[in-house]
Amino acid sequence: MVALLALLPFTASAPPFELKDGDRVVWIGSAIAEREQKYGYWETALLCQWPDLKITFRNLGWSGDTVEGIARASFDPPAKGYERLIKAVKDEKPTVIFVSYGSVEALEKNADPVKFEKQLEKLLEDLSPTKARVVLFSPTPSEPDSLTGPHGGTGQPREEVTQAFSVKFHTQAVGAVAERGGHRFADLHTQLMKNAKLNGYTFTDNGLHYSEAGYEGTIPDFLTSLGISWAGEEPKRFDAVRKAVLKKNELYFHKYRPQNETYLFGFRKHEQGKNAAEVKELEKMIEAADRDIQKQLSQSR
Amino acid sequence: MNTAFSSSRICGLARVCLALLTLTIPAKAQRDAKIPDPDPEIERKSFIVAPGFEVNLFAADPMLAKPIQMNWDARGRLWLATSETYPQIKPGQTPNDKIIILEDTNNDGVADKTEVFADGLLIPTAVLPGDGGAYVANSTEIIHLSQSKPGIKADKKRVVLSGFGTEDTHHLIHTFRWGPDGAMYFNQSVYIHSHVETPHGTKRLNGGGIWRYEPRTQKLEVFARGFWNPWGLQFDKYGQMFATDGANGEGIVHVIPGASYPTGGNQAPRVLHGMNPGSPKFCGLEIVSGRHFPDDWQGDCITNDFRGHRVCRFKLRDAGSTFESREMTEVIKSNHPAFRPIDVSIGPDGALYIADWYNPIIQHGEVDFRDPRRDKTHGRIWRVTAKGRPLVERPKLANATFEQLIEASKAPEAWTRSMVRRQFAESSSENVAYRLFKLTPAQDDHSLLEYFLINANAGVSHAPMMAALFEMKDERYRATIPQLLTNLMRTEKSLQRDLVEEDLLQKLLTDASPRFRLGMLRALTVDPSAATAAAALKVLDKPTDPTLEYALWLTLRELQNHWIPAFKEGKFDYGNDIKKLSFALEAVQSPETIPALSQLIAKNANTPHRPALQLLMAKMGGSEELAEMIEGIDRDPITERLALMTAIEQSIASRRLPKPKTAVDVRLRVQALLKPSNESQEAIDRLLVKIAGHWKLTGLRPDLEQLAVATSGANREVAVSALAEFGDAESKVKLTEWATQAQEPILRILAIKALASIDLSRAAKLTTSLFVEGGSEESAALLINEFVNRKNGAAILAKALESKTIRSDLAKVGLRAVRNSPNPSPALTEALTKAGSLGAAKKEPTAAEIKALAVDALKLGDAARGELVYRRKEIQCMACHAINGAGGQVGPDLTSIGASAQTDYLVDSLLLPNKAIKEGYHTVDVTTAAGRIHSGVKVREAGGELVLRDKDDKEITLKLDDIETRRAGRTLMPDGTVESLTRAELLDLVRFLGELGKVGAYEPGKAPLVRTWRMAEATPENMNLFRRERVGVAAEKPAAVTWSAAYSRVNGELPLADVATVTTFKGVAPQSVMQFKIAVSSAGDLKLAVNSPDGLAAYIDGTAVALDKPIPVTVGDKVVTLIVNREKRQTALRMTLDDSGTARARIVGGK
Repeated sequence: MVALLALLPFTASAPPFELKDGDRVVWIGSAIAEREQKYGYWETALLCQWPDLKITFRNLGWSGDTVEGIARASFDPPAKGYERLIKAVKDEKPTVIFVSYGSVEALEKNADPVKFEKQLEKLLEDLSPTKARVVLFSPTPSEPDSLTGPHGGTGQPREEVTQAFSVKFHTQAVGAVAERGGHRFADLHTQLMKNAKLNGYTFTDNGLHYSEAGYEGTIPDFLTSLGISWAGEEPKRFDAVRKAVLKKNELYFHKYRPQNETYLFGFRKHEQGKNAAEVKELEKMIEAADRDIQKQLSQSR
Repeated sequence: MNTAFSSSRICGLARVCLALLTLTIPAKAQRDAKIPDPDPEIERKSFIVAPGFEVNLFAADPMLAKPIQMNWDARGRLWLATSETYPQIKPGQTPNDKIIILEDTNNDGVADKTEVFADGLLIPTAVLPGDGGAYVANSTEIIHLSQSKPGIKADKKRVVLSGFGTEDTHHLIHTFRWGPDGAMYFNQSVYIHSHVETPHGTKRLNGGGIWRYEPRTQKLEVFARGFWNPWGLQFDKYGQMFATDGANGEGIVHVIPGASYPTGGNQAPRVLHGMNPGSPKFCGLEIVSGRHFPDDWQGDCITNDFRGHRVCRFKLRDAGSTFESREMTEVIKSNHPAFRPIDVSIGPDGALYIADWYNPIIQHGEVDFRDPRRDKTHGRIWRVTAKGRPLVERPKLANATFEQLIEASKAPEAWTRSMVRRQFAESSSENVAYRLFKLTPAQDDHSLLEYFLINANAGVSHAPMMAALFEMKDERYRATIPQLLTNLMRTEKSLQRDLVEEDLLQKLLTDASPRFRLGMLRALTVDPSAATAAAALKVLDKPTDPTLEYALWLTLRELQNHWIPAFKEGKFDYGNDIKKLSFALEAVQSPETIPALSQLIAKNANTPHRPALQLLMAKMGGSEELAEMIEGIDRDPITERLALMTAIEQSIASRRLPKPKTAVDVRLRVQALLKPSNESQEAIDRLLVKIAGHWKLTGLRPDLEQLAVATSGANREVAVSALAEFGDAESKVKLTEWATQAQEPILRILAIKALASIDLSRAAKLTTSLFVEGGSEESAALLINEFVNRKNGAAILAKALESKTIRSDLAKVGLRAVRNSPNPSPALTEALTKAGSLGAAKKEPTAAEIKALAVDALKLGDAARGELVYRRKEIQCMACHAINGAGGQVGPDLTSIGASAQTDYLVDSLLLPNKAIKEGYHTVDVTTAAGRIHSGVKVREAGGELVLRDKDDKEITLKLDDIETRRAGRTLMPDGTVESLTRAELLDLVRFLGELGKVGAYEPGKAPLVRTWRMAEATPENMNLFRRERVGVAAEKPAAVTWSAAYSRVNGELPLADVATVTTFKGVAPQSVMQFKIAVSSAGDLKLAVNSPDGLAAYIDGTAVALDKPIPVTVGDKVVTLIVNREKRQTALRMTLDDSGTARARIVGGK
């Protein structure tokens, strides 16, 4: 399934990241987190590390989101997006929070890593009542446009150099917050840059977001950033688990972000609010899907 | 993935299946009679087709089900996005919506091959073949699907863009189209909030709009903003963009890059409008092109009134920088309840294809997601051909050579040309680029434009051909060039430099074509600088029109960060033309410009420019500037003072400007109000009293108190209000004194009302004692309104009413005020009912009663009688609702309500207005920091202000900073609207509404009829005016007349019985004085057609005109006055704008 790569420990001092029995991991962030739930490679690779433990993931990633929760505001003013982000995390009662922010901020016209760093710290402060362990993922590096796109690239220059610096600064900001707060820092940026230098850029199809093959191909980097070495996994079991993970993620997505939300819970709920009960039905299905993941993990072991 | 399901010759089988299906229908039909027989032939026979055309079935279920959008590929295959999951996925359901490809392999006009290209999708709302597969809208994403080898289902998937909102499944991104420039355009509806990460940064669009995406560079931008449901998008032969909207009711829209169009919660302070106000909802858009269609159809827009079961046709004509659109006879109309045309496209054979969603139910807001009547299995593609005209030979483009493609690009069919461009877009290589570079295109405009577009699609530089493009003779071709270049300039920097080169700019901005000038204006924003802003203003040197002025306004706003700093330093070169500068300053309304504006006013103290500059300052200035203007008002010309002072007062009130630091002395003016003087001076002085209140000029207290006691009417009212605005203990004492001891009842009432803003409890106690003593109905309405529109007001008044007894009529008036308030208070309802010894409040009708009414309406109701009920003054339907664009704008337009809403829904809406509220008609309830409650439908929210439209059709502007709470409210339609009707009248009304929009006497009107009128009633003021001067004065000084609204009937006639008469003197024939408005967008001769000239005298803006001759008009709004001699005329009035005039004009509808 995944080639065994020569791996280095995350840092000399940090012990490998560990999940524990009963852990509920809530993943927040921008498209990098959101899209992971559709492919499930990173989540599955982690679950396979502890096949006997009961660990559940809830992915709250949202395209275009920032540490201000701006993409979640919907009809409301931007500040409401942040409130929703905090509430959504708390509602899931996390014991571990994965934070994947910084990519959107790094590509803004007036990118400001200092502001980002402060707001990330505020976010963690506002999430601290959950007492969850926090893992801060760095943004991922941009790949040059020349190797991507439907036409095999245009060779047109993008603001690559500036972007590359900005992503690096935002990575450093995440690292600084991690160090000050005593959180685990998963430096995907450094790890992937290293890998890119070894193997060329092949993980994205738009320079920014990982394709299905990209998520699969970066499993070793993802785990390495957490200090975990990856010796691959028995492909049949990995696939079975991943399939169960995708089912759970799909059900959860429909519960967390149902279509027609305006009519179910929003300002037109007097019209279709009666159908909101359907969304509630999903909760039991998600629990069953969690159990199925456990079953697939333990089978053929 | 599995191999594709592909079946040739499926049609025979289809018919057998259909026959079987129809057998099962009776059982279903018994459960609900509204499900029609699904036999396509029955549906086809219901079509009334435009003369000279016929319709055949191209494909039907089970080949496809629930088509949403269609697009063609170069092989002539029809791709369909289809969804059986719509409107909502069930819990745990695995979505399995499909992309289907239909093919007519033997060219007989009937699809004989169907292929499932992809399945497992979730409500795919669009499909666009391209780049070796197809782009598909799949909920939050746009994905690109392709096959690793031909003949199998798509097995390769790439996420192209993600982060689109899903707040409403009929708003999801939709309507994918390739633009002539090679970019992909797609639309988003109003409830959607999208946050899309791209390698060039994150792009966000909260609300409706049109996106533009370049697959080649991955650049994504918002091309235009607004709309509710822009479900139609198409480009004409010359590259101009048009759209339709499935809610806004403005028909065909000419889309200008970067512009905003109306939508709920608009962020833009100014918007452009569609060309057919009063239209029903439309879906899909095609522009007729090709040899199969007759010449007089070329360039016409085809769209679908899916609620009214009609495929509509509009004819466009040039009108200045934009167009004018006129509805023609329908392509198809039908009364088949499941015929739902939702997309329309001309195919490779030149015929018109129509996607039929086929469903008796269409909405999913008002009708339950799980309503069993929702059809999930049917769907049709209809094909319209012109009888006796040859079809177009299908072009063979898929494997064509370079030369063959260039040859094909000369085709008159847009289909062929767009496919050729796609071939170049997809096969771009250095070789193709080189061959294009070497090619010398024919020099006619058509070939030149096509050559340019091919280059753009192939990603080849077009800088070398720019000069030739600008020299094109046909201005329709030339006009689109700046716009197309703008799109491309963003990636090609050298082009940008060439275009903004100064001499060229000067020439281009004064091009003979206004549409070209408009394009140039928009192009200027690509190279933002103070110089380009100054250049933009040159457009004002030539005649303008409203669209051109909008484009200038928009451009100046987009460039403001560049020219404002220059203006502040005195370096903004506006050619010393105050008109230009005023336009620029007014466009941005930036406080930053005030000091420089002050200097300019000083410089122009003795020039004719002063008033315009002063007015600008009144709108923009701060407290100090306004105080200075108030002090110096006498230096302004007498004729300008009232307008100026009105602007100053409004500015202070709406912008809540604080008291200035410098003293303002207006005592003499306030005192002057004690003695009568001329009307305009009194109006100015009253404004000063208001300002004294806003600024709490408490030094004027004795003068105001004297004014309140010694004067009456408006003078007294403003004085009492100003004292209340002081809000201090002294005012409270004085107001309480008047409230309890004043001799005149009106002063007591005014004082109580004013007190409510200072001390609600005291005002409540005083109100109840007034009511207990007696009090008039008028006072009850006035005072109770004051309480229900204040925070906690209703509760406090209810408490004060406890164990009191008041006259039952007062209680009734009070209850009406409560019912009409944003949140009717049950406590106050109960208190008033008790105090007035009224019976218990009326109970809500039961579901069974509603059902019975719906059944009886169809059985016993009469639409003609119903229209008379609808037009009754006391029910006020027309005050809030429009039909064919005529009537109030508070509630939804009812033009096609009958074709879309079930009868029970109509009964519900009349009896229980809050049960199901039309999209966009929910109120926003706002409480201000001052404790005022406002309720209205949101018009826009921009620049720190929220604008609501209240139940009286008035716009209320609120500062966002002043808003304390804000929540979604109810409808503005008052409960009990139809309470005064008898059951029979109600049935007639329901029947009438049920017929609106259906084929027949009440179908949507196409003729450009005058439907919105105003008339002079015989009020004392009007009679005085007419007797003092003469009736004709109404044409010269419309503002001096008091007008009331009148509307034509659905058939376009205004019965004279509904029109007021005035009889000036005994023995003089009774007359009617009426007006309507015409908006002229391009000067020329105007022709008005009237059913009979008997007894009519006509005026345009005060000048008498003959109706049987062309009338020369200039650009702008014109008022037409008709004076009707009622002795000489009894016939109803029916007035139409005649198409044959050279002027471009539109009848103004609305209220």
